Amino acid sequence: MRYRLPFLLFLVLLTIMAQAQQPSGRIASKMTGQSFASFSESVYRQSGSMIFDPMATAEKLKVTIADDSLTVLQMVLKSVEGTNIMVSPWHQHFVLLPGKMLIQSLPPYQKLTSVLSTADSSGKVPAKARYLEGRAPEVVQTIRVGAEGPAKSSGRARIQGRITDKDSGEAVFGATLFFPDLGIGAVTDEKGLASIQLRPGKHLMRAEYLGYERKNFLLEVRNDGSFNINLARTAIQMEEFVVFGDKQMNMKSKDPGLDKIVMKSIKELPMMMGERDVLKISGTLPGIVSTGEGASGINVRGGGSDQNAFYINRIPVYNTSHLFGFFPAFNAEIIRDFAIYKGHVPAEYGGRLSSVFNITTREGNKKHLMVRGGLSPITGNLVVEGPVVKDVASVLLSARSSYSDWMLQRIEDPSIRSSAAHFNDFAGGVNATLGKTKISAFGYRSFDRFRLADVNDYHYINQGVSLIGERMVTDNLRAELSLIGSSYSFELTDKQYAATAYQHRYQNNHYEARLDFKHLAFENHTFDYGLGMIVYQLRRGIIEPYGMASLRQEVDLGNEKGVESSFYFADNWEPNPRLTVTAGLRMSLFTPLGPKDVLTYADGLPRDLRYVVDTLSFANNKILRWYLEPDIRLSVNYSTDENGAVKLAFNQMHQNLFLLNNTVSVSPSAQWKLADYYLRPSAVNQVSVGVFRNLRQWGLETSLELYYKKTTHFPEFRDGADFISTPHVETTVLQGEQQAYGLEFFLKRNNRKLDGWLSYTYSRSLIRVDDVNPLNDINNGKLYPSNHDIPHMVNLVMNYHLRRRVTFSTIVTYQRGRPVTFPVSAYFVNGVPMLDYSDRNAYRIPDYFRTDLSLTLEGNLKKDKLIHSSLVISVYNLTGRDNPYSVFFKNEDGKINSYQYAVIGVPILTATWIFKLGNYAAE
Amino acid sequence: MQQNKKLILFWLTALLLVSCIKPFDPDISLSDTDKVVINAQINDIDTVQKIEISLTSAISKPEFKPLSGCTVRVVADDGTSFGFYEATAGDYFGTIDPAYLQPGALLRLEVITPQGERIESAADRMPQGPEISEVYWELTTLEGNRPGNERNGIQFYTDLHAEAWHSRFFRWEIVETWEYHADYPFQWYYDGAVHQVIPADYSRLICWKTAFVPYVYSLNTINLTNNAFERFPLHFVSNLTARLAYGYSVEVRQYALSETSFAYWEQMRLNNEQDAGLFEKQPVPVQGNLRFADNDKEVLGNFSVSAIRRKRLFVDPVPGLELDFSTGCSATVLEKGFREIRPYEYPVYLLGDDVTYSMVLLSDGCVDCLVHGGINVKPSFWPR
Repeated sequence: MRYRLPFLLFLVLLTIMAQAQQPSGRIASKMTGQSFASFSESVYRQSGSMIFDPMATAEKLKVTIADDSLTVLQMVLKSVEGTNIMVSPWHQHFVLLPGKMLIQSLPPYQKLTSVLSTADSSGKVPAKARYLEGRAPEVVQTIRVGAEGPAKSSGRARIQGRITDKDSGEAVFGATLFFPDLGIGAVTDEKGLASIQLRPGKHLMRAEYLGYERKNFLLEVRNDGSFNINLARTAIQMEEFVVFGDKQMNMKSKDPGLDKIVMKSIKELPMMMGERDVLKISGTLPGIVSTGEGASGINVRGGGSDQNAFYINRIPVYNTSHLFGFFPAFNAEIIRDFAIYKGHVPAEYGGRLSSVFNITTREGNKKHLMVRGGLSPITGNLVVEGPVVKDVASVLLSARSSYSDWMLQRIEDPSIRSSAAHFNDFAGGVNATLGKTKISAFGYRSFDRFRLADVNDYHYINQGVSLIGERMVTDNLRAELSLIGSSYSFELTDKQYAATAYQHRYQNNHYEARLDFKHLAFENHTFDYGLGMIVYQLRRGIIEPYGMASLRQEVDLGNEKGVESSFYFADNWEPNPRLTVTAGLRMSLFTPLGPKDVLTYADGLPRDLRYVVDTLSFANNKILRWYLEPDIRLSVNYSTDENGAVKLAFNQMHQNLFLLNNTVSVSPSAQWKLADYYLRPSAVNQVSVGVFRNLRQWGLETSLELYYKKTTHFPEFRDGADFISTPHVETTVLQGEQQAYGLEFFLKRNNRKLDGWLSYTYSRSLIRVDDVNPLNDINNGKLYPSNHDIPHMVNLVMNYHLRRRVTFSTIVTYQRGRPVTFPVSAYFVNGVPMLDYSDRNAYRIPDYFRTDLSLTLEGNLKKDKLIHSSLVISVYNLTGRDNPYSVFFKNEDGKINSYQYAVIGVPILTATWIFKLGNYAAE
Repeated sequence: MQQNKKLILFWLTALLLVSCIKPFDPDISLSDTDKVVINAQINDIDTVQKIEISLTSAISKPEFKPLSGCTVRVVADDGTSFGFYEATAGDYFGTIDPAYLQPGALLRLEVITPQGERIESAADRMPQGPEISEVYWELTTLEGNRPGNERNGIQFYTDLHAEAWHSRFFRWEIVETWEYHADYPFQWYYDGAVHQVIPADYSRLICWKTAFVPYVYSLNTINLTNNAFERFPLHFVSNLTARLAYGYSVEVRQYALSETSFAYWEQMRLNNEQDAGLFEKQPVPVQGNLRFADNDKEVLGNFSVSAIRRKRLFVDPVPGLELDFSTGCSATVLEKGFREIRPYEYPVYLLGDDVTYSMVLLSDGCVDCLVHGGINVKPSFWPR
């Protein structure tokens, strides 16, 4: 195991080095009468340089070269000697065009940017002029912004630009507006909006984004104002675009501890059981851990699995998985992008300690009908979208369902084998843009049913709606009003023993209203502010006896109500192009409300029903406690030079809602519970420092982040806690402190023949429950590793684009085994061996290692076709390693035997067919 | 088409086994051995009571390590004390006046180790226990971890019918006894020459073996409306052992416990019944009611006083249950005659009848049932 990693690293380096070979290297060249195709293949094989012939001008040439050894460039020049074909070197490749060079004098990419950014505002730089001529010989469109009149006194006008997709009309997130004369730029947010301050006058402006045409404009700034740009998708993506667009994402706008996944970028990655799981893929990023196969929770920077907030179009989702974590609860086909905040969390978010996962779905095509879908061994899905009113309103509908539970029949457990499972999810959205107002409505529902032999019957439902109205109040002020409702419920029937059989229904409702503003107020200042209110309503349910034979006593777990009111203000200040400071304050007030009967316990004794002294009765809507929760959010981003940045963040968060769960992974019957009279909200302070660097010559981006977090009032459960025998949760929950610290390294390569990322995380997560009453201590009040304390984790994600239509991808994951409590000695009672256990989590299960592989075959690349389809063949756990999920000890005939349990111990091969209307690039 | 078939075949093979359980060798440090373990379960019926005192052993080599030379006494709340004396290593026996074993009686334990350290227990109160209402069994098929790997046998159950004034905390112990037979009587043997025992010796043909079922069965009824439970599952006896061949008997011991003693046994049960699963709980440190008086070293085990009720049940060979067990006898044909037998192996047993023997060597287990660990004296409770 230990030898495998360096070996892999070596492999990566080797491949990178092979890629970097220059076209000037000499190669064997002698050939006679070869077809041009085989010539270019031979060049590619020997040098790694590709020859692009977009006009097919060289197709019929026969190549004869007498020399034995030439440079690649010489060879290519020789091959077209005597024709009008001209050879343009491009990176280490070549482009052939009849009678003209691609961009004959295009300077090397690195130089270009430095020239542009140091250019003065007169803009008369030869390189730039040539660049524009070469790139955009057509007339540059002029955009006028602001009413004519005297220039503003401040000397700068506030400009807001909106970039939309020319075909679908959807906002483009992450596109850049760059002003080469000024050396400044801006990136669009999830609404497609970018703000910038410019002096009145004419400025050259370039708009670009990965997968879209790059467009130049002449922006004539007169006064404050806004403009709209449509960008068309390129039928064939030019690899050049991405580097710059993404560099902006990484260097200029990325907050410390923010990760963003664009669905396009992961569509070739290996899938488990044919499902693309954004949560599992997020687990390959630094600092995010999944405890194993079938574990539905994920842990971010050492936090618990209930410390992550998941939003899909602002709807909170309380259970993010189907079938206990084997499948994601979201249909990947409707996700546009996916942002994970784990360091600096913007002030608009609150309520969870560790992270915010913000999923944005596509809005639906505003131009034409689009249908897409897929079929995997377990599920089928279909997405239909199209305009309701062309260019104004669109609709998006998605449905996904499992149609087989064959997987269960393969599990080495008789009770699971005789079980049945089914799940489905639906989502639908409508979007309309009416002038300066945009309205969107979105609904989501997921359903799961699981029958465990004749022992358990279980189903759960997540559902929610959001209604969002957005308006440009002035050119500098955008307002957004959201109304959100969400509910999570489950029903469980436990029939294991007739005498104790019971039924339990649980429901958790979330109603939210919020008003958010984005305000480009002063020069260099953008304000984000808003206010919101959430009403939580928990019906924790009644444990009812099930069946005639059940003797179980009915237990009413009671209802809970709580209101979380908050406001926030954040200033995004750019004192100069190199420095960005974001300072925010979020103030929340959480008030658990009656009706509630609260027991009081004798002083100095554990909270136990035996020591009840009195009962406090709170009437309906009476406040049990006031919890005032100020959060400071601070982030500083300083560009040390054009390729590097240093980032600092201080982040405070509070959490008022917990998951009652005392198993290692999140159990299906885990209930959410509000902070109450006894159970206090948890709070975390996090400090993080990061260094970012672009290594352009390798096409690499790297980052290194360090963080330290300390959580107070971290809920931990008493040994053997049982959450259904009493409504008084304070008798089973203890509150301690949690410390987490770590280091995250990230290396990423984009849009090359071989691309992907490598992440390494060192992370510790430790808990201490040291109560004033020693009977309440866990592990005698000593610090112990949490269940998800995974110190070392390495993930390698690689895509190898063999051809445009053929991609190999692999994910290699290694992580240190999670902590467990082992027996350390044996003793005999009545001749039966018994086990004495170590301190809590003092040992670890064996390390985890997995390799996945996939092959994506795209249909043909014809531009005009009705349906494009692709086939993804994936092998999950290629090496068949049986990674232990748990380790247990069994007393068998007087001997103590130890076993490990692996959920998936063999390679799993799946094939998924994906189709859509239109061609390869259709969206 | 051929290609497709191959693909499907590959697919199915790949999916044949998804999850798996396999042995695992943990790397455990030995620092925690030699903790004192006291197993003291005083009951309301027995005239002679037993207390076991031992030390913990390494997990890789579990063994009973007796702790001899302790001074042991049980003390009532009026100060009367009852001494216990070591009969065999680590086993201390004593007698408690039945007047101090009535429901509500409060007893505690004091132990002084050979090193002079003093161990004390919290006091435990004698609860009131109901009679055992019913013990019964049913023919059952358990499915194994792999499909098709089934086990047939009988599953034992007990019912509980207690009154409101009885304890609501219970545990059960099961002691099983079964008759088993060697394959042949002792008749022919060879020790350089062939001998015949006349008449054949049948004394080691039939034996009885008694064993403690090594599981903890515990139940509380505090979340139930009545102090009762139907079909509480006890142990399972498989058709792959000799237990059900010639007669099988179980003694079920029902203990009514105090709440604190129940908590101890419940934790023991949870820790000893760990299994594979997605939602398994972490083992927890089991805290008994024993402490060192002068330091905070840990003492394992528990002192409890409980109301015990016993019930014995016999199971004759079960109709409809096909047995498939090995008797532990192996026979070898002597192809080269007696030359194959080395003198140091003498005497060896030969297959034969009243008239003659054959050149077949029998292992000891074929003619001597004592080899398998039982006794050849019929237990007094055995019916036939």
